Amino acid sequence: MENAAEASHHTGQYENSIWPALIAFATGLAAVGFFFLMKGVMLVAGLMLVSASALILGGFLYSDTRNWSSALSRLGRIPKDTLVGAFPVDINLTIQIIIMTELLLFGGAFAMYFAIREQVPFWPPPGTPILDDLIARAQTLILISSSILVEWAVYQLKHGRMRAFKAGLIGTTILGALFPILQFGVEWPHLILNNILTPATNFFGATFYLLTGIHGAHVLVGVIAYCYTDIRALMGQYSPKNHGFVEATSTYWHFVHIIWLFLFALMWQGGRVV
Amino acid sequence: MKLEDFGTFVIFAAIYAASTLGLPKLLFLAYHIEIGVIPTAFVAIFGLPAVFGLTLGQFIAGIGFQVTPIAMLSPAISFIGLVVVYYSRKFNTFAGCIVYIVITSLWLSYMLPIVSGTPPAVAAYSAFAGQSIAVIVGYIGYILVVRRISQRTTETAPKH
Repeated sequence: MENAAEASHHTGQYENSIWPALIAFATGLAAVGFFFLMKGVMLVAGLMLVSASALILGGFLYSDTRNWSSALSRLGRIPKDTLVGAFPVDINLTIQIIIMTELLLFGGAFAMYFAIREQVPFWPPPGTPILDDLIARAQTLILISSSILVEWAVYQLKHGRMRAFKAGLIGTTILGALFPILQFGVEWPHLILNNILTPATNFFGATFYLLTGIHGAHVLVGVIAYCYTDIRALMGQYSPKNHGFVEATSTYWHFVHIIWLFLFALMWQGGRVV
Repeated sequence: MKLEDFGTFVIFAAIYAASTLGLPKLLFLAYHIEIGVIPTAFVAIFGLPAVFGLTLGQFIAGIGFQVTPIAMLSPAISFIGLVVVYYSRKFNTFAGCIVYIVITSLWLSYMLPIVSGTPPAVAAYSAFAGQSIAVIVGYIGYILVVRRISQRTTETAPKH
């Protein structure tokens, strides 16, 4: 009970905090400011926006760093199998908001792709190489396997089979880590260093790197989330009654997976509206 | 559909899209047998998430090929067939599968001559045969899984 009360006190300090809204506002200011600076228009306004953003973020860091030492000392001491301290089970709304945000991001990116595609008479534009889809197929297989494996792991967790759950979760993380390794370590260097397809090749090259880059960044975030989930699983912080965070991570992962299917269809198979 | 069903939805979409786009085509006369159609009977086990997943998978696979407006209606037709299979699970899944074959074959028989210029008779014959092969292969798999599930349920049930 003491642990629960202590954890409740520490998590409660962020209730009704204005900082999340301010940080989001500061990020928006910084994005607009950097846009002005990089485009070379309204330099003073750009500098002011970036400075205002830095001030807000600095203010947050200044006010929050005093909590860090106690937060660090609590790390690793979170009581086993408790809902307080561990992630709450019911985080449906949180993950729904995250997924909606991601949908807007990728919706915008795909809208850009189709808008460009409609502007050119031929798609892909002349001079675009036919991409070898061997790596893309391997990546698809990796994502399907990892999605099935994590569903299996969640099922095992709900039925209290903890060893199987941990094995499934770690397997998912390993499979997930293979995806960005193949993308950023094999395919991109191969295409760019051999001058097969670069962002400067044509519209297809630009959209290819933009869309697969955004997606790859999301996969990386997913892998980091899985590493964190693994650590907590190994610390025994999940149970059949406490699996909200695992479900949230897997939902995010499935979302990243489905976006990949669209990319695979559009970038490698290259359909064209006729 | 609950959030926890999202995984099933995505996995079925992926199975359809990836198998259609990423695997070699199994040609049967004018029509290629879509491996993604094989899991059709499994919607009787996995429910509406599988229905929506297979429909989305078909849509994704569609945009990977030469896209024509009429071809993009295929997922909607397939969706109707899948819903029939889903609701037929209460009395006879096989009957649902037959209805699915009939609905999708009729649609393909109408669409293929428009899209690819295939003679109508060849289109009708090959679509019906291709769909039947894929769905029946899946149905056999479904029967095996259902038997396995009921076997395990009997094993784990408390003995009086």
